[in-house]
Amino acid sequence: MRLMFINGSPRGTKSNTDRLMEHFIRGFLETEGNACRTEYLVKYRQNLQTLTEKFSAAENVIIGFPLYIDAMPGSVKEFLEVLAPFEGKINLPALGFVIQCGFPETSHTRFAARYCEKFSRRIGCRFLGAILKGGCEGLDIQPNFLTDKYFSLFNMIGVSFGKTGKFDEELLTKLARPEHLSAQNMAQIIPYINQALWDARMEKNGVLDRSFDRPFTS
Amino acid sequence: MNVLVLNGNPFNDKGNIDQYLGILVEELKSAGHNTTVIVLRDLKISPCTGCFNCWLKTPGTCTIRDDARDVTRQYIAAEHVIFASPLIMGFPSALLKNAMDRNISIMHPHLEEVDGEVHHKKRYDRYPVISYLLEKESCTDEEDIAILTDIFRREAINVRSSLGFVHFTESPVEEIVHAINVH
Repeated sequence: MRLMFINGSPRGTKSNTDRLMEHFIRGFLETEGNACRTEYLVKYRQNLQTLTEKFSAAENVIIGFPLYIDAMPGSVKEFLEVLAPFEGKINLPALGFVIQCGFPETSHTRFAARYCEKFSRRIGCRFLGAILKGGCEGLDIQPNFLTDKYFSLFNMIGVSFGKTGKFDEELLTKLARPEHLSAQNMAQIIPYINQALWDARMEKNGVLDRSFDRPFTS
Repeated sequence: MNVLVLNGNPFNDKGNIDQYLGILVEELKSAGHNTTVIVLRDLKISPCTGCFNCWLKTPGTCTIRDDARDVTRQYIAAEHVIFASPLIMGFPSALLKNAMDRNISIMHPHLEEVDGEVHHKKRYDRYPVISYLLEKESCTDEEDIAILTDIFRREAINVRSSLGFVHFTESPVEEIVHAINVH
């Protein structure tokens, strides 16, 4: 099976999307004969046409992106727009998505996923499904016991996709946990994220005392 | 009321949304609203790079120097913002989405609970109501509208605002003016 992974993160090779998909791809490649190529959307911005040609020649495509205000980043939308001429063409690739978000609950990504499914139908690609995961901002500074779990599930989903050509529903559900958070969970997690992910970095930059600045107050 | 219209139509010569907005803006002005239009395709707004400098280095200000900063300034000064765009592949334009992505400096990086979910804290005391004026594609169906309306409702929560209306250019202009008046 041949796969093209289009990483739609504006952070490109330094993205959380890439760190997660690295494990998926490693799993996918375990099946003999499988091949995967990663394309970074951010490198094609001035030349999207080239990427659309690669898209239309591919057998399977997965587009990955971080959730930006409940949807795809504008730069990913630019790519989806230039795919318009392929609408209804035959021999289009099967299309899947990976959507990750910084909010700890995966539920935030479900709405964009519905759009992705409809997009696949609109253009005429067989929809492979969407791999959804919350809690993915700052993977580098998250404790290993958490990231190891994410990475291992991405790996297993990749292994299974490599064998069957399908995303395993059971693994997707496991990966998506927590789908929602209880009030108690939120009370535990939020202060930790605010400190470790944000305050520590603002402090390092010397702006913690200005974090609530309102430069556009009239 | 201060009304800001962000015209996210990328085309100079296609569709009828520009013409529709021309009439709408006149009507809003005669109804006494202080109305500003920003034509996004005339500006330079590059995509958000996800650097978080607007939260972590220069709190509240994006460090990319282009026209997005002025859009953010006008957004905060408005009481009602209308995002206007043709639907392209079932979603508002990339032009509009890039402008919205570049606006996250209006929020604070800290998280807090909002109605049982995790969202960002407010940076400002108040935010404008946000509404959508869209032009349908020939294939736009009820399912598309339901998907979009859900996403828009979520976006409004996420920028700590509320969703005013989602209308299409087939609605009479008076309906939009009325929807603004009653808010």
